[in-house]
Order: sequence, then structure tokens, then C-alpha cells
Amino acid sequence: MKKLILAGLLSVCSFSVLADIAVIVNANNGNAIDQTEIKKIYLGKSKSFADGTKVNPVNQNGNNVADEFNDKVVGKSSSQLNAYWSKLVFTGKGTPPEKLDNDQAVIDFVSSNADSIGYIDSSKVTDSVKVIATF
Amino acid sequence: MKKLPIAIAICAACLSAPSYAEIRINGFASIVGGKTLDDDSSLYGYDNDISFKNESVFALQLSADLQDKLSATAQIVARGENDFDAEFEWAYLTYEFTDELQLSAGKMRVPFYRYSDFLDVGYAYRWVRPPQSVYNIPFSTYEGLSLLHTSQLGDWDSTVQVIYGGYDGTIAVVSVNGDTELNDIAGINWTLSYDWFSARAAYFVADTSIAIENDTPTGVALNELEEALRNAGFVDQANNIAVDEDDGSFLALGVSIDYNNLLFDAEYTEFEVDNSALAKQTQYYTSVGYRMDEWIVHLTYENNDDKHESNRYNALPAVPPLNQGINLVLEGSKAKSNVYTIGTRYDFHPSAALKVDFSRFKDDISDTETDVIAVAVDLVF
Repeated sequence: MKKLILAGLLSVCSFSVLADIAVIVNANNGNAIDQTEIKKIYLGKSKSFADGTKVNPVNQNGNNVADEFNDKVVGKSSSQLNAYWSKLVFTGKGTPPEKLDNDQAVIDFVSSNADSIGYIDSSKVTDSVKVIATF
Repeated sequence: MKKLPIAIAICAACLSAPSYAEIRINGFASIVGGKTLDDDSSLYGYDNDISFKNESVFALQLSADLQDKLSATAQIVARGENDFDAEFEWAYLTYEFTDELQLSAGKMRVPFYRYSDFLDVGYAYRWVRPPQSVYNIPFSTYEGLSLLHTSQLGDWDSTVQVIYGGYDGTIAVVSVNGDTELNDIAGINWTLSYDWFSARAAYFVADTSIAIENDTPTGVALNELEEALRNAGFVDQANNIAVDEDDGSFLALGVSIDYNNLLFDAEYTEFEVDNSALAKQTQYYTSVGYRMDEWIVHLTYENNDDKHESNRYNALPAVPPLNQGINLVLEGSKAKSNVYTIGTRYDFHPSAALKVDFSRFKDDISDTETDVIAVAVDLVF
């Protein structure tokens, strides 16, 4: 019994540190999107997919998944990103992606919006969305 | 029974009303406390008594996405130095032709400097205030048009902005309250950036008129000289003193680096109003910073040099008293100074930063030094 709890604790610990990030799009989205493109989308530099559809990205709200994504994919800390977006927001040049609370909210959003892109903990991926990259 | 369809019709009308534009509200604020460390000198609006009002700012930005690629943005700013009276700093409409091209019309910021667009958003930069030797043009907005084109050249991002418009207001140049009119402000601002590197160049011209009031000794001296020249029939010389429909030009060059944790910024500016008593201004600053997680430490050197070309002197050798008067005015408009600033920024919260800056201003003409210390909390929301 004790071992089980210990194992459980360990798995929780390692889970929160080593979680992989899956970048997901709507199941019907056929565009090829590499890391550079994902970064551009999340920095507001790219506004459309390759096929011309306006892209509608969503972030997660200040949780571990968001920190991991910002660090691995965008390459900026949350403070740096805040400063980056404040420059665009207060000059009318851009709006940061909307923030959703958790993986499930992102899955729901992405599966019901054809133009969306999001990221979640890779262990939470479901059939209702399409994974385009894992980091 | 009859009432129900009417109710439904009203509801339907409400739902289809255009007032359903989504309005976003963003805001920023800076609370800054500061003072000079010397008894009888002032700098950046501070004197020897601590002030929490002088550089503090509260602002709200409202933006509405109307349909069909049209959006409206307004920024309402309350500055401590104006007793926190709220004023519309920006108010403009933007039409997005494509992802790359947008046109804005209204009251906007003149993109003189790298940090012009977010001059008031302290959270967006590392200092308590951007280097004032360079950031010293006494007005920052204009009314007119701005065409913005963004594109990608391989791995580089290019942003070209072309502006046209005018400014009408009261600014402090020579005298405290000079009615100022800038017509046909036109110019271009080009920024090229590559991940950690960015470079920009900007050039503006404007038809410049500044009324010099008799509210400072320099203002009085200028006006007396101009009148004396005019009365003696030296119209050209008088016109070379007055700032009346003269060609103003402004040039800015800058680079900015954010590589690993090393930060570097440098900007060089030149400002000139031809055929006027205003000296040609040349300024620059260089700044290095180092980021350690949530901390940044930085050191900045600024330099300002204002002087007239030597061929402006001795304009009236035939009339020694007036000649001397002109020379005195030209000499009086000289300025030479430098500033060292050392400071730190601590991001103690995802959307708030604490900053402390210490600046030493040295006036090379009067050979005096003034020290200012300021502590700021900057936030965005």
C-alpha cells in the first residue's frame, strides 16, 4: 500500500516536470505547420494558415502547460511574453491569443473551430483533435 | 397574444444591431516615486522633495473590432503631472486591407523613436523612463494617417510605416507656452528584425511654426532681437531667428539586441529646424542590460549636443550690436550634456515589474551635476 502511494507520488512529480506538449488543430485541418510557423502564430507574426484561412490560436492561462509551451516552442518566459504583447496591444498592432483554463477547454475549442490551433499536455490528446507536433 | 411577436421582433432587432462589436479593455499603469539628491536642482520634473505624482500614469485602452476588417482604438491616459486629468491620447480607426497592410486614421503616436509607440507603457521596457536625452521631442502625437506594411523577408520581419498629418498644440521650446503648429508632417519608419536582432531607421519632415512667448528670459531676448532686426530692415536675419514656417527634419537610427540574456540598445537622433534660432540637436544613447531570470540590471550612457553651424555666426558684420545679438542668441541655444543611468528591473509578478533607476545628469556648459533616483511599479492589465 505504501509503495503504491509512493509510486503514485513519484509519477505525479515526474509527470508535472516532464509533460510533453502536443500542438493540436482541428481534425479537418490539412495544413502542414512546423515549429517556426507555430512560433510565428503565437507571436502574432503569422495570421493565416498556408491555405489562407485566418488562424485562431488559443493559449492556456498561466498553468504549467502554458509555461512549458512558452519555454519550449516560443522561447520566452511569461514575463517576456507579457512585455512582448503589451508592445503590440498598446499600439493597436495585435491581440494576444485568447486564454483558456485547461487542456479540456482547449480540446473542446479546437475540435469545434476549424480555424483554431492550441496546445495541451500530450497525454490528454483525444481523437477529436489532430496533433501536428509534439515538443 | 399580439404582444409576443412584437417582443420577438424587438429581440431580433437587438440581436442584429451593430452594437454587438466586441470591445476589449486593456490598461497599464506606472506608479513612480522619485527625487533629486541635490538641494536646488531639478531634473525630469523632480526636485529635492519626493514626488509620487510627477511620472505616474494610469491608462485604459478600448478597442472594438467592427465588422469587415474595421477596428476602432482609443487610449485614455491620466498623467500625474496633469493632476491625473484623463485625456484621449490616441483615438483612431484602422482598416485592414490584408494581413500585411493596414491604414489607420485619427490621433496617433508619431513613431520618432524605437519605444515611441509604447512610451507610456513602462512595463514594455527596462528603464523607469526611456533615455531622455534622446526621447526629448516635446510632443508625441499627431492627427492624420498611418499606413503600416508588415512582411517577411526570409527569416527577417520587416515593418514599414508611412505617416502624414499635422500637430497643433502648446509646447515648451525656448518659452514655456509656445503655440505650435506643425503642418505636413510626413515620414517613414522602417524596422527590420530577426529573432534577437532589430534595426530601425526613421525620417520625418514638417513645416514648423513655434510662437515664442515672453515667459522666459531667453524668450524675451529672442523676441527683442527679432524685433530690432525687423525694425532695422534686416528681414532675412529676423526670419532666421523666428520659428515660422521653417523646414523641420528628424532622423533616427537604432539597433536593439536581446541575445540569450544579454540586452543592448542604441539610438541616434538628429533634429533640426532650418533658418531658426533653434540649434541643431544631435543625441544618442547606448544601453546594456543583463537578464537573470526575473531580474534585469542595466547601464545606460546618453549624450546630447545642440549647436548651430558655424556659418550661422557673424551674420551682420556691418552692424556690430545686432551682429553680437545674433551671436549671443545662437550661443545661448547651445546645450551639451550627458547622463549615466544604472538600474534594475524585477518582474515580481507576471504582469507587474518593480524598477529602481539612479541617473546622474551632467551639464557640460554650466559644469553642474544632478542626481535623480526613482522607484517605479509598472503594470499591464
